[in-house]
Amino acid sequence: MKLKKLYLLAFISSTLFFSCSSDDDVTREEALGAYENGIIVLNEGNFGTDNSEISFVSNDFSIVKNNVFNTVNTALALGDTGQDIGFYNNLAFIVLNNSQKIEVVDRYTMIHVATISSGLINPRYITFANGKGYVTNWGDGGSTTDDYIAVVDLTNYVVSSTIPVVEGPERILHNNNKLYVAHKGGYGQGNSVSVIDLSNNSVVSVTVGDVPNSLELVDNSLYVLCGGAPSWSATETTGELVKINILDNTTESKVFNGMVHPSNLDFESNNFYYTIDSKIYKMGLSDVELPNAELFSTENQGAYGIYSFAVNNDKIYIGDAKDYSSNGEVYAYSLTGTLLNSFIVGVSPSGIYFNN
Amino acid sequence: MIMKKLLVFCSFIFVFNVFSQQDSILKLKEVVLIDNKLKAFSLTNSIIKLSDSVIQRNPTSLTELLRNNTTIYFKEYGKGMTSSASFRGTTSQQTAVIWNGININSQFNGQTDFNTINSFDFNSIAVRAGGGSVVYGSGAIGGTIHLNSYLDFEEKFSNTVRLNYGSYDTKGIHYKLNAGSDKISANVNFSRNQSENDYEYLGYNKKNENGSYENNSFSTLFGYKINTKNTLKFATHFFDGEKFFSGTIASPSRSKYEDYNTRNLLEWKYEGKSFISSSQVAYLTEKYKYFENKESDLFSYGEVKSLILKYDLFYKISENIKINPIVSHIQNRGIGTNVSETKRNISSLSILFKHSLLKKVDYEIGVRKEITSNYKSPLLYSIGVKYSPFKFYSVNANFSKNFRIPTFNDLYWEGSGNPDLNPEHSLQYEVNNGITYKNFELRITGFKTDLKDMLRWVPNEFGIWRPENTDLVSIYGLETSLNWEKKINAVRIDLNGNYTYTKSTNEITEKQLIYVPYHKFTSSLGVNIASFSLNYQYVFNGEVFTSSDNFYKLKEYGISNLSMDYTIRTKIKTILTFQVFNLENRPYQNLLSRPMPGRNYTINLTLNF
Repeated sequence: MKLKKLYLLAFISSTLFFSCSSDDDVTREEALGAYENGIIVLNEGNFGTDNSEISFVSNDFSIVKNNVFNTVNTALALGDTGQDIGFYNNLAFIVLNNSQKIEVVDRYTMIHVATISSGLINPRYITFANGKGYVTNWGDGGSTTDDYIAVVDLTNYVVSSTIPVVEGPERILHNNNKLYVAHKGGYGQGNSVSVIDLSNNSVVSVTVGDVPNSLELVDNSLYVLCGGAPSWSATETTGELVKINILDNTTESKVFNGMVHPSNLDFESNNFYYTIDSKIYKMGLSDVELPNAELFSTENQGAYGIYSFAVNNDKIYIGDAKDYSSNGEVYAYSLTGTLLNSFIVGVSPSGIYFNN
Repeated sequence: MIMKKLLVFCSFIFVFNVFSQQDSILKLKEVVLIDNKLKAFSLTNSIIKLSDSVIQRNPTSLTELLRNNTTIYFKEYGKGMTSSASFRGTTSQQTAVIWNGININSQFNGQTDFNTINSFDFNSIAVRAGGGSVVYGSGAIGGTIHLNSYLDFEEKFSNTVRLNYGSYDTKGIHYKLNAGSDKISANVNFSRNQSENDYEYLGYNKKNENGSYENNSFSTLFGYKINTKNTLKFATHFFDGEKFFSGTIASPSRSKYEDYNTRNLLEWKYEGKSFISSSQVAYLTEKYKYFENKESDLFSYGEVKSLILKYDLFYKISENIKINPIVSHIQNRGIGTNVSETKRNISSLSILFKHSLLKKVDYEIGVRKEITSNYKSPLLYSIGVKYSPFKFYSVNANFSKNFRIPTFNDLYWEGSGNPDLNPEHSLQYEVNNGITYKNFELRITGFKTDLKDMLRWVPNEFGIWRPENTDLVSIYGLETSLNWEKKINAVRIDLNGNYTYTKSTNEITEKQLIYVPYHKFTSSLGVNIASFSLNYQYVFNGEVFTSSDNFYKLKEYGISNLSMDYTIRTKIKTILTFQVFNLENRPYQNLLSRPMPGRNYTINLTLNF
């Protein structure tokens, strides 16, 4: 009850900040829902606290709403450490890492549909194939042998089976009846991508660089951005962009110069985008070399790290977690790095999605 | 339902009468503390002593005792769970817990979990507000909590047994033995507490699913007077606890945590004509195990063993001038899942000086310097003056520099520890006014603390979280406390109130520190008529911010507790106590998403023989 009021208070004060005309709301209600045609921001909140939340920014930037989940579902708190959102038909699946659950909502109205609360242990990312959801799970953080993919039956929202995989499955992607799972490595550092054939659940492991953190599929190539082993690991390694030919699982790699740790690979209109520290880089699909110079940097915004990143509809979006306690901020840039707008969102914006 | 259980419990303990009956001889006596600094060199600090009766009528956890009776704020992960203090607007690592003069804050995280201390294990608990690093070392910034056992060399043999049973299947047994002669004194305490702790999350239709706990603690103090000049003392304290970790409102938990701490202290004291020499050797161990999955054998752990050598010479230059040099050496050896084996040596020299002038003015000066290769150690000092112009009024002021050293986690955490850290340090100013008139006592204290080089874990440009000496915090506040006692025929009334206003500002963001309430108020009213006594407690906790931009907060709350007891004085002095906590059944949280219990009951039976 107290928490409810708290969220409500937070919501009211946030709407005071960003004038949103009620006329807009009315027209939107007539559409699929108030949260259609906009950007969904997942704010992970603080580990150990139920302050994960959803923010919404309309495509024209005229509406910003925070604490969306609790505003719509007043009796519920979203949970602890939102990790990922996957969209399937009219539904959004919000994966909550430390709540060990997935909240299923209508993606346009945000009205709660179901909770998947058993069969998940440290769930990370979700994708969909053949009417099923596939969720990467670390299992117990301290165990390197209990990691798995949970298979969710989307007719009754129950984890119906599991596919064991090696340590630290993170990002997951589906293509042509195959799942591609990047093993970032959990508490350690991984260096492989699992290719799971859904016709027989057989798993083939493809070795990539250290700490594969993001995946992009372009035609018959799976691009795997590997951050490299961090400075505190036994041997620090630099990042690599690995291309897997999905027809024969052969790989080729571009190694980053020096000792850098790239992340956040995104592909949009024939270009790759990724980030290193507070810098954003762009590379053409057919470019032979990795770019030397960055496209732009977020340092002008006082953001020295990029907590979330997405490119969509000719805009680059960057989430800034600030001090990880305060409300975060999302910046929208043009593809050349001109700051177009910025929005105060919830605590630690960890994911940016597009709800069109 | 609960009442029925209580009745069954009562009928059980009324038959429980197996202990030998022996009269205790109680006389007024002067007690001997191992930690004499609390008395001898805290002239200008405000000290609250929690009397035996206050300890008795509060729950056994140190958290609850201090939460209900002082203005310290506790960040609690639920009842019985991990709990840390914020004293005078400071952080958890800036309150030091002192056991018989020895700082027992964890070497790993620099703080004490106040739910790993059973308050019944000690003869006296005192709260000393303000800086005390000159005497007590690291972490004595906001204040210090003193757990003391004392000796009294006299003929006696007394036992106390206390049994309690309460809501959520909470059970406790405590035993205390006090025995002695003019040569020997022995003090033995044992406590066991356990609870299902499955309280309801008021307003959420949920229960605290994974919150059960149990712990055993054992403490002893033995003293032997070799002759009139030489005394040997040996003190121990063991704590062994297991607690499951409560989840949040929206998230279940499957974790558990184990603590195992041991403390041993041997002292040889020689009392000459004008000096007292004390040589101490102490050996402390702390160990925790964290099981992410309580069903699994996998755990992470940390262990530190500390050896402390201390020599303390109290020298009376004249009746009015005293000087007290102290040399000490501490060696900590730590190892854990995230810390490879590490040894740390710290030597220190302190000199304390005290002078009484013209009977009305006293002043004391202390300096301390630590020598270590681990960090740059600042010169610590304190200066205090006390002026007592009238019998009923005294004013004192002090100024001190205090510090908190980086912990093992801060320095040595694999991949994140920062070996270049310096201690946090503070300058503190304080003025105390005390008025005592007959049975009335009023104290008003103004304080100001400037904290520099505060440690905070921040992600660096590569996204790696590391601690840095980054924050500046400015704190000021006002403490007031009032005590009044009146006896009218057979009726004794006592009234106590404490109020603290605290403004604790991060100077960079100009925001209030999270989990520091502006206002906290505690009060109690006791009425005693012959064998009956009634005590009413009211605690008000102002709102606290839960995010550093002060955007999110927990609402203020006020709750009250009621305790009634009846004493039967036969050969065995029997005290029957009935307590209700959170009378109003009000939902409240001291840490975001961690609800505290609603109205709950306890019944205690105490036997003194």
